Amino acid sequence: MDSMIHDMAERLFRDHVTHRLREDAASGQFPEALWMRIEEAGLAMALVPEAAGGFGVLPGEALGLVRIAGAHGLPLPLAETLIANAVLAGANLALPGGRLTIAEGESLRLERRGEKIHASGHLTLVPFARWANRIVTIAVLDGADYVLSLPVKELALDPAQDLAGMPRDDAEVDLALTEADVGVVSRPVEGMRALGALIRSLAIAGAMETILEMSVQYANDRVQFGRPIGKFQAIQHYLATMAGETAASRTAAEMAAGSYDTPAFALTVAAAKARAGEAAEKVGALAHQIHGAIGYTQEHSLHHFTKRIWGWRDEFGTELDWTGELGRAALSSPHDTFWHFITDSAVQGAPA
Amino acid sequence: MSLTAFPPPPSCTDYDDLRQEVRAFLAEELADFPPEKRAESWNGFSRDFSRKLARRGWVGMTFPKEYGGHARSALERYVVSEELLAAGAPVISHWIADRQSGPLILAKGTDEQKRRIVPRIAAGELCFCIGMSEPDSGSDLAATRTVATEVDGGFRINGTKVWTTYAHVADYMILFCRTGKSDDRHGGMSQFLVDLKATDHISISPIIDLGGEHHFNQVVFDNTFLPSDALLGEKGEGWSQVMSELAFERSGPERFLSSFALIEELIRLLREDATEAQQAEIGRLSAHLMVLRQMSRSVAGMLNEGKNPSLQAAIVKDLGALFEQDIPRLARSLVTRPAVPGGRDSYAAVLAYTELAVPSFSLRGGTREILRGIIARGLGLR
Repeated sequence: MDSMIHDMAERLFRDHVTHRLREDAASGQFPEALWMRIEEAGLAMALVPEAAGGFGVLPGEALGLVRIAGAHGLPLPLAETLIANAVLAGANLALPGGRLTIAEGESLRLERRGEKIHASGHLTLVPFARWANRIVTIAVLDGADYVLSLPVKELALDPAQDLAGMPRDDAEVDLALTEADVGVVSRPVEGMRALGALIRSLAIAGAMETILEMSVQYANDRVQFGRPIGKFQAIQHYLATMAGETAASRTAAEMAAGSYDTPAFALTVAAAKARAGEAAEKVGALAHQIHGAIGYTQEHSLHHFTKRIWGWRDEFGTELDWTGELGRAALSSPHDTFWHFITDSAVQGAPA
Repeated sequence: MSLTAFPPPPSCTDYDDLRQEVRAFLAEELADFPPEKRAESWNGFSRDFSRKLARRGWVGMTFPKEYGGHARSALERYVVSEELLAAGAPVISHWIADRQSGPLILAKGTDEQKRRIVPRIAAGELCFCIGMSEPDSGSDLAATRTVATEVDGGFRINGTKVWTTYAHVADYMILFCRTGKSDDRHGGMSQFLVDLKATDHISISPIIDLGGEHHFNQVVFDNTFLPSDALLGEKGEGWSQVMSELAFERSGPERFLSSFALIEELIRLLREDATEAQQAEIGRLSAHLMVLRQMSRSVAGMLNEGKNPSLQAAIVKDLGALFEQDIPRLARSLVTRPAVPGGRDSYAAVLAYTELAVPSFSLRGGTREILRGIIARGLGLR
């Protein structure tokens, strides 16, 4: 698919997301200059309606940016900001600009205190929280969903990180929300878990494409026993297996992205996260097997990608969470046959 | 990297009416068709069923109307195909002709060949088999020894084909053989359209598989005369003609639905009460199936646009075979009931049939090893 915004992102990341930049970010340096370029290009607005500052592209195309960011190991919350902006816009809240992140809000307690809504509770391992201005989340009050935009400077953060060294911070929430920071959800929206699972599936697919490319390159270049190791059938089969897993993950993630905002989203995103998470295991292991000892070093850039996919598969629902969800839907479906459930899953999702 | 990008297939909701018509037809036709017969999947043979299907316009769907076809899209054909497979309908009598031989004749055949053969395929009248493998030429197709020697008015064929599925009932064979010497390993090959019912000096003998089934045959050509007009396509172009069939042969829903009868049996048993572990396994299966179907439909979309997605097709077949072959393991990990050939109950019978069928899934239509070699080269390995 030819896409101007994809080309723009590809060029920007190719020029600026270097091994050094990923190293520095993993050791705690926030890549501010790069963020400014991303913000100038407007990439984080791609998923909001044109009237709210978006490009007027279909969700599938906008979300393709997440796969591309994953392919470059971008150490910034572009995917999270993209989703946060879309959720805010969907609740008719103002878009604050800058870096945003998302969190699952089920653990938050909302209560009315006079005119204001008070939020309290504990958010765990919020992606890039310390580099973000706001955490966007969805929580329930009196049976209704509310979108919340929580200012990070008013939260107490407890820093941690994911396998790739990216910030994943716990946040203690205990604050009265201003009117501008609470939006009523006027129509059913997907929970933050599903939206988070969507961006992680896309990012895993993108990173795996890079891992595959690096592995093909290495197999062509590395000579042992007098020939490139890619001449050995065992290595060829590893690469073919990686290609299959990567293609399946990308197809799955794009199927979910293509059904964003449709009834099919709930089941396709479950399939996408489960499939990509499973593939991450195989693809990571085979890439390291092909690369040998050099790929196990800090110096080689392979680990920036393998650690990312291993981390991402744990976030916003693991394989076990999502296969459980999908299995319950399949087994409780009122369809006559499992086949009818499968064909409907791609169209209208789980029957109400 | 284009090899891992499968473009989104066109929406399938456009064909919802078609899907419902096929389902209604199958519900009626296969009302008394037992699970253990459905387990045979696309290896089930019924000329009667194929003719009935053809009368509904669901054979030769993509063929042009002037040759008895219905000028419908590859996506519409896909809907019918997957519904037939999911129901375990007995389709082999028309399947190979509909999938690849008909399209091959339409693409490479003479006008006379098209007029003589294609309308009868579309009517569900003709069963085709593919004469490709030989005793010394399995995965290594270029080692083909069967030879066609040009003589007055035609060719003399000598050689032996094996693993020829349904040759014992088929009306025609698409024969792949050598017609000339060539320095190029892939040169000097041709394809022939062999009328099995009207040609002398062909002997067909059964090869019984480990499940006791007679699908395979050995076919011996002993100085067999074929008229000149049996040549299909260009003399010497057999290799490239075969390669262009592969995307059709390798990407369809038959590459991941062959064990589907067992999946339905398994889910029937788990529906009432499943543990969380069982739910998760069914969820994993569902995820794989949803994704394979999307990939396979994506290839159908590419074929419909006249592209040649043979690399993507190889990926679908490799992943599809892994999926199909894994179903007996999955079933055994979730339900403790022994497999019984012929069956004490339908689950036991379907499990037994499927366990004995799955080893062939990564052999037929291109072995796993061949497919992975093709994929690896497609990735840019030097």
